[in-house]
Amino acid sequence: MTATQKTSANQSQKLMVFVLTMALYGLATLFTELIPSFQVGIVEFSVEYFLFIPLTLAMLFDPMSAALGAATGELVFSEIMLGQFGGLGELEKFITVTIGVYIAGRLVRNPKNRALVGAAAIGGVVIQQLLGCIVDICKVQFGVEDFEAVAGLPESVFATEGFACLNDILFSGILFCLLPTLYLVPKLHGKIEPLLGMAPRTETTALEPIGGKVIAGCAVAFAAALVCELLATSGFSLIDWEADWAGSGTAIAAGIVVAAVVAVAILLVMRRSAGKKGA
Amino acid sequence: MKTIEKLSESILDKLSIDFLRSQVLKNAYGNSDTLIAAMDPRPLLVWYLFFGLVPWFVHDVVFLVGCFMLVAFTTWMAHVAGLVLFLFAVGVFSQTGYLFLVTLLFGGDASAILPLLVLTLKVATVSLASITIFSGLDPDKLANGLMWFGCPERLSFSISYAYRMLPLLMEEFQNVLLSYRLRGNPPAHDTLPGKLRYLVYQVRIIIQSFYPLMLNTAKRSRTTVEVLELKGYRYAAVDRQVKKIKLSHMKVSNNDLLFLALSFLWVALTLLAATLI
Repeated sequence: MTATQKTSANQSQKLMVFVLTMALYGLATLFTELIPSFQVGIVEFSVEYFLFIPLTLAMLFDPMSAALGAATGELVFSEIMLGQFGGLGELEKFITVTIGVYIAGRLVRNPKNRALVGAAAIGGVVIQQLLGCIVDICKVQFGVEDFEAVAGLPESVFATEGFACLNDILFSGILFCLLPTLYLVPKLHGKIEPLLGMAPRTETTALEPIGGKVIAGCAVAFAAALVCELLATSGFSLIDWEADWAGSGTAIAAGIVVAAVVAVAILLVMRRSAGKKGA
Repeated sequence: MKTIEKLSESILDKLSIDFLRSQVLKNAYGNSDTLIAAMDPRPLLVWYLFFGLVPWFVHDVVFLVGCFMLVAFTTWMAHVAGLVLFLFAVGVFSQTGYLFLVTLLFGGDASAILPLLVLTLKVATVSLASITIFSGLDPDKLANGLMWFGCPERLSFSISYAYRMLPLLMEEFQNVLLSYRLRGNPPAHDTLPGKLRYLVYQVRIIIQSFYPLMLNTAKRSRTTVEVLELKGYRYAAVDRQVKKIKLSHMKVSNNDLLFLALSFLWVALTLLAATLI
């Protein structure tokens, strides 16, 4: 542990940052999941998320570990532990949170620079919210049958999603990301790093500024999130096929039922004989 | 006026951390004697894969209702904690209800109800299936099951770690919060501006208490990782043989197959019904 150690941490330090971010952000999302939101007219006041925790940590430590830790923490603590795991949708959230936090963390080269910290914090929120908003609109469009045919529904989805996005950026973004990050980063800088055995990040030890590689990587990751949705659309043709088949063949459906009954019966018999053997 | 009052009151109510802790612990470890908890995680995950994905792609109402009835039954079997079910209900109905109101606002009429109901049914089915699996199963079992299917070691480590650390973390957070409250001087909250100031004060304290919490957790995570290193965790995590030894205790029993077969029978029956109607 020398003073010249770079911020590019070694493997076990990365794991420390991962565990730290996961535990803290997981705890925070657990609370926000439980705090109800309030609507005053159409404006929704909710403590959307405590994104300031991973943002702060990503600015002080290795950004990638912090970003992955935050996304995993949210997934495990608030989705899986509370049984709210939503399948495909969670993947999209995982990726958008990772991208937002990672970029914000990479932007800050010197945590002493308050203006930069503030800009990066709000930038991370905007990125995360915009990506989430785009995917959300797609999801509703694919989830509802005859989406365009329902009067008023398309406009309402665009309006609610766009408004929710703006609302989150302005309300949660400023109150729960910008201000706390501005308070915490300078306060923690130089204090928390020695606890993990690292040198504080400075202009000279920071990672390279964001290049084309990072942007390309983020684009690929977001494309992966969208591909999930595209797979969902192509799934429709598969199901259309299934519906045709189900409509044409009551007999086939009856056959499946018979097969299922036989399977259950065989298992019951096996169970009984196993019980006899055990006795 | 009323809303603000309700706002500060309800946030304070929910922040009774003891209540949260007991609910989360109950959800994680409180129901190990149910039928679902006794099952092998692997067939259950396959089962979840079906009920978590298929309802998204099917528009047949009869089929969806059938699936919904099945997952509602399994959720009941898993004895899920009340708080989780409450959150589920609030989540599902507030979301689609809100969408419906806005649809009306934009000149839609009652014809918007049906697609939205189908959407609600889908969301409800998928989330109940996940509640069954993720709250019904023991966290360690769940982590092992995920590992067997080749999920990254980090994820199953995170699940096991989260369930063990969460009570500790919550207690620590509560202690820090209480010490800030003891030292603080809350503004009077009889009038409306006073109530607003009180709310801001509460939120500020919560954010400030993350400062010591971050430092403490940093120390703790360093200890955790150092202990893991001592046990050779980073090598064990990628080693095939270690994984095999770790997962060797899992065994698919007759009960698991019966559960799968019965679910399959029910789905086949709903398919049959869907073709008849």
